[in-house]
Amino acid sequence: MLSPALLTRLRAVVGADGVIDRPEALLVYECDGYTLERAAPEAVVLPRSPAQVSAVLRVLHDEGIAFVPRGAGTGLSGGALPVAAPVMIGTSRMQAIEAIDAANRRIVVQAGVVNQWVTNAVRADGLCYAPDPSSQPACTIGGNVAENSGGPHTLKYGVTTNHVLGVELALPTGELVTLGGAVEDRPGYDLTGLVVGAEGTFGIVTRATLRLVRAPEAYRTLLAVFESVAAASEAVSGIIAAGIVPGALEMMDTLIIQAVEAAFRIGLPTDAGAVLLIELDGPAAGLDPQVERVSAVCRTTGVREIRVARDDAERAALWKCRKRAFGAVGRLAPNYCTQDGVVPRTRVPDILRTIAGVAERHRLRIANVFHAGDGNIHPILLYDERDRDEVSRVLAAGREILEACVALGGSLTGEHGIGVEKMGQMPLLFGPDDLAAMTRLRAVFDPDGRANPHKIFPDAKTCVETRAPRRQAAM
Amino acid sequence: MSVWADIVGAEHVEAGTAAAAIDGVVPSWVVRPGNVDEAQACVREAAGHGVVLVAKGLGAHLDIGAPPARLDVVLRLDRLDRVVDHQPGDMTVTVEAGCPLAALGRVLAGAGQWLPLDPPRADATTVGGLVAADLSGPLRASQGRVRDLLLGIRTIGADGALVAGGGRVVKNVAGYDLPKLHVGALGTVGVIVEATFKVRPRPEREEAVVIACRTGPSAGDTALAVWSSAIAPVWLEAAGPGALAEGPGEGAAVVVGIAGVPEEVADARARTLELARSRGLRAITVADGAGLRARLADFPVEPAAAVLRAAMLPSDIGAFFADVDGVARERGVPVRCLARAANGVVYVAVPAADDVAPLVRALRPRLEAKGGGLVVERAIAAAKVGVDVWGDVGPGVELMRRVKAAFDPAGTLAAGRFVAGL
Repeated sequence: MLSPALLTRLRAVVGADGVIDRPEALLVYECDGYTLERAAPEAVVLPRSPAQVSAVLRVLHDEGIAFVPRGAGTGLSGGALPVAAPVMIGTSRMQAIEAIDAANRRIVVQAGVVNQWVTNAVRADGLCYAPDPSSQPACTIGGNVAENSGGPHTLKYGVTTNHVLGVELALPTGELVTLGGAVEDRPGYDLTGLVVGAEGTFGIVTRATLRLVRAPEAYRTLLAVFESVAAASEAVSGIIAAGIVPGALEMMDTLIIQAVEAAFRIGLPTDAGAVLLIELDGPAAGLDPQVERVSAVCRTTGVREIRVARDDAERAALWKCRKRAFGAVGRLAPNYCTQDGVVPRTRVPDILRTIAGVAERHRLRIANVFHAGDGNIHPILLYDERDRDEVSRVLAAGREILEACVALGGSLTGEHGIGVEKMGQMPLLFGPDDLAAMTRLRAVFDPDGRANPHKIFPDAKTCVETRAPRRQAAM
Repeated sequence: MSVWADIVGAEHVEAGTAAAAIDGVVPSWVVRPGNVDEAQACVREAAGHGVVLVAKGLGAHLDIGAPPARLDVVLRLDRLDRVVDHQPGDMTVTVEAGCPLAALGRVLAGAGQWLPLDPPRADATTVGGLVAADLSGPLRASQGRVRDLLLGIRTIGADGALVAGGGRVVKNVAGYDLPKLHVGALGTVGVIVEATFKVRPRPEREEAVVIACRTGPSAGDTALAVWSSAIAPVWLEAAGPGALAEGPGEGAAVVVGIAGVPEEVADARARTLELARSRGLRAITVADGAGLRARLADFPVEPAAAVLRAAMLPSDIGAFFADVDGVARERGVPVRCLARAANGVVYVAVPAADDVAPLVRALRPRLEAKGGGLVVERAIAAAKVGVDVWGDVGPGVELMRRVKAAFDPAGTLAAGRFVAGL
């Protein structure tokens, strides 16, 4: 239990309304977007500035108390689940966009700034922030940096790490250290690159300097309808083989098409086996020839129909379907769990076959909506949390799908992170020497292991002694 | 010798000579392992006996970095030269560290692809050197650097253990991003033995438009105007007077690289020519854009006592050209400058060794004061005397010391070559 004296010290830093410790108010914080496991922190602290984060961490450092950072809580691997970390530090009140340098395409934001706000702030300058996870209306830059988030446009534009030039990191001691910055090519180890994707285990990122890109001059957004996922996959391979790198290349299967159509009614063919959402962007002059080439490829793989968005409104409608597909799935079942795995792009048909087999074996419904161009799959496992047997089948199915991804030469996660969800499977991907190198790196930043403990790395001992009862109880 | 010969065979061990020296420091031995196991055995042997080693590929970039604090063995990896796995459909390639970029390029070209990194001396550059020295060229303006294209890595740690990071797929956030630790680290935290990259389709056509400018500063400003326009250049260079052998006149120039499908190229060409016209500047089109780009990529290795690399915001390039011009006139030094205009990087070629330290002293503080820096990127050994080649690395330096201590506590790997004496 946290002592009243400690809570008093924390309130002295962030104000009375910046510390939440009433049990009923803490319920909101007992999980993030990964809802299969729950555990509430003992207190949530909501600093309003990097200086306050630093001061809060100094207090915790004095007392040797572990902490878990949290942005908007949209993470999907349980990265913000408190595990043997009594204090949660939420960055949501640090919402300042501190500097915009349109000429150099840079922006400095605090960690709690929402992803979508960044693009909104620079749209008038003809710029945008490229990483656009589906949760972009809610997720924060701090969370994006922690998870190295992706999104549909990563095929062409890269993920978060390609767009972060520098960070201010609050080390677990409370020391604020600036790494990287607006200028490229600074000498030394790429510490910024190491902090991005560290899932909050190095400390708390309080500010980030981001690279902006010129908003594409024009878009062509196509919806290609196929009889089967196999035919759609073949089209994906064909597009890549033709030397075309679309801005986005997304696949949705029948279950998703039906859910999305029920939710948004934009005339998707509910009897189709799969649709591809293909977006080409760039200088206007090059786009129509590319549309023609993409269409030709699709025709060779038996496309039923190709629709091209005629204006911004139609483009927006298509993207709404894709980005809100997860929400639309809520119509199919009381609960769902979104998996995140990666296979080499050419193995997408193999993994989809595996997923279909897993679904049948475990008597589950699994819908697929994913970044086909990257080989980054997102099977959505539908279930009812009141059915304990079904929950355990969902967990088993998820594990089997990930094992299949690794067996095909892929990865456990493309953009959601390891968190608590996949730590047990890390040895599938990395050997003892690899994991030892990672833990050495962690100790550089957090020698006491107080920053988001018991994440990423399998630690069987703690798992049994500390976490299992809580996690079990929460199931 | 016998201990090294026992590992790699006597025919792959040579006594060090002046030809193998790094910044004038001659190694005792040059050892050429034939596979990863042998390379691991070499590192273990070094670690066990307090031997300091520096990994090397073809040796084209060893003039980067500070002089070694000590050097016993050069570990030459040119026998690890296989392209391990190229999957055109996945747009990925896995390649051993000693593989020359030219050989890799031929494999990729067979599938219409390329690794869009264009370092100087591309023909004498290995994959390991590319990563360890974080080499890049004009293409970085649109394609990024090594850090943006490197998906996975295998390295030998200072204890001889083989350590893998990242993976072979284009999107992967499992575990820490260990590949980034080794990019530009000059082999100070591990010996790179294999790397996996994402590759891209090679554009159908590549041209360039050269815009003649009267002065370096006006070239900097014109380049910024191109970058801010809708032209979307694939690369963008601003050359100070005398830096570009070809093009209209001996003055400064902006070189705009345009590539893509023919329609895109034609459109970008027309827009660039129009932009030049609207500013009252002459411009010519160069059909062999790739050829011109390769020559610009080689600017940092053209004959000079030293080439400095200045880092700043892109909008400061024009003013920096003026600064350099002022300092150079004051000292009567004929320097030449070339900027990667979209990245805020300016290379300054200094002809005489004596002028290097004074130029660094004059220019570095102004750059550091604005969040940038100045590195002596390449220099003959004489030009590094009395100069900190790296400069101030900023507030992260204490963490960097801890990184080095965590990964190479005994200083087995390239001791003294990196920032802050690491």
